[in-house]
Amino acid sequence: MKAVVCRLLIVLMAWTPFQYAQAGMIGTDQVVASATQAERSTIVNFVSRADVAGQLQSFGIDASNAKDRVAAMTDDEVRYLAGRIDSMPAGANGAGLVLLIVIVAVIWWVWKR
Amino acid sequence: MGLEALALLGRKAIENARFTAGVFFCVLAAALSGCASLVPQTAELREGLPDGLPRQVELKNVPFYPQLDYQCGPAALATALDAFGANLTPEQLVPEVYLPERKGSLQVEMLAAPRRHGMVSYLLAPRFVDLLREVAAGNPVIVLQNLGLSDGWHYAVAVGYDYDTGDLLMRSGVTEREQLNFAVHEFVWARSGYWAMVALPPDRIPVTADENRWLAAIAALERTGDARNARTAYATFLERWPQNVNAAVGLANAYHRLGELPQAEKVLRAAAQRAPDSVVVLNNLAQTLSDQGRDAEALPFAERAVAAGGPFSDAARETRSAIQQRLSGKARN
Repeated sequence: MKAVVCRLLIVLMAWTPFQYAQAGMIGTDQVVASATQAERSTIVNFVSRADVAGQLQSFGIDASNAKDRVAAMTDDEVRYLAGRIDSMPAGANGAGLVLLIVIVAVIWWVWKR
Repeated sequence: MGLEALALLGRKAIENARFTAGVFFCVLAAALSGCASLVPQTAELREGLPDGLPRQVELKNVPFYPQLDYQCGPAALATALDAFGANLTPEQLVPEVYLPERKGSLQVEMLAAPRRHGMVSYLLAPRFVDLLREVAAGNPVIVLQNLGLSDGWHYAVAVGYDYDTGDLLMRSGVTEREQLNFAVHEFVWARSGYWAMVALPPDRIPVTADENRWLAAIAALERTGDARNARTAYATFLERWPQNVNAAVGLANAYHRLGELPQAEKVLRAAAQRAPDSVVVLNNLAQTLSDQGRDAEALPFAERAVAAGGPFSDAARETRSAIQQRLSGKARN
């Protein structure tokens, strides 16, 4: 019994920073989301938010930073990121520019001729 | 070196060679079949200047932050946000969008970060002409390009164009005023699926905004807890699309969170006139009345919300029973 209460408290504590719902009011984000999303339970959202925060953390940022970053995302964005951070484009400095310029120059030359 | 390692090395070399050959083959094929297929949107733009666009635009007062190593994300974001007086440096944005182990910034985080500064992020439709329209309207556009063979992802900010020379003007990397040919830009931009975004203060609307997607963009700002800026954004939205009931719900929710209950009530009453069967409007109106201690007045709206059914009927039933409890509590006292 004690263990159940403890677990529940942990869940609630972890949940709090992600949840801004006002008592009794239906939130705008629920309304603008599609009907299928609205039917998904908040528990699912809570799990994936915590998961994504953990995944971000593993790419070199600290826990509270990760939590703040996830808090700025929509549910859709969280679902989109979950488990895919490694395979997504990460805009950096565009290495390989020289080779690209060569390719583009070839296209250009052919086109202008 | 073991035999397996050698085999692996060999395979990799073959793969690389194949890839390079593939790229050159594609380029050659495209060149032979006419370049229009490689840069279709540029080809379309060449047909003529789209209606309502000036021939030349340059947003000269957009600031420039040269990027540090790998940090074009924070630099591009600071450039776009400071165009509207946000007063942020790339260094301040590094902890919000930069991922050290990826040595870069994810698109989702580029969209999320402006919300932490009271701005509304909007993903543009994947159209070159929309990019030009936003720039012409004074909104700098962040684009994701791929400048390398595979992983040369790079954010840059479009701040102008010259239709006659066919150049896009950009703040990019360490270049303050990069002139990039439309075709070259499209070639490197198409590889991100024409990914482009704007981040605007809440009293502006992108000129290319789609009604529903812009509303979702504002709801995303509201979700972060920034009710003050969300209120401004919903009010601006309703000036342009006054019939949108969901935007009225959003405006009322922002008022409610700020404790401005009479204003929330006014907005919801007007919405209930237009959408008498909206469970959300009726439920939130009932709750807002109840929060002002007017449970007797709230109950009929809660009853109507429950009667209307739909995906939010559970929430409506909870609201109704809370109001009923409060009323019976009052009756006992």
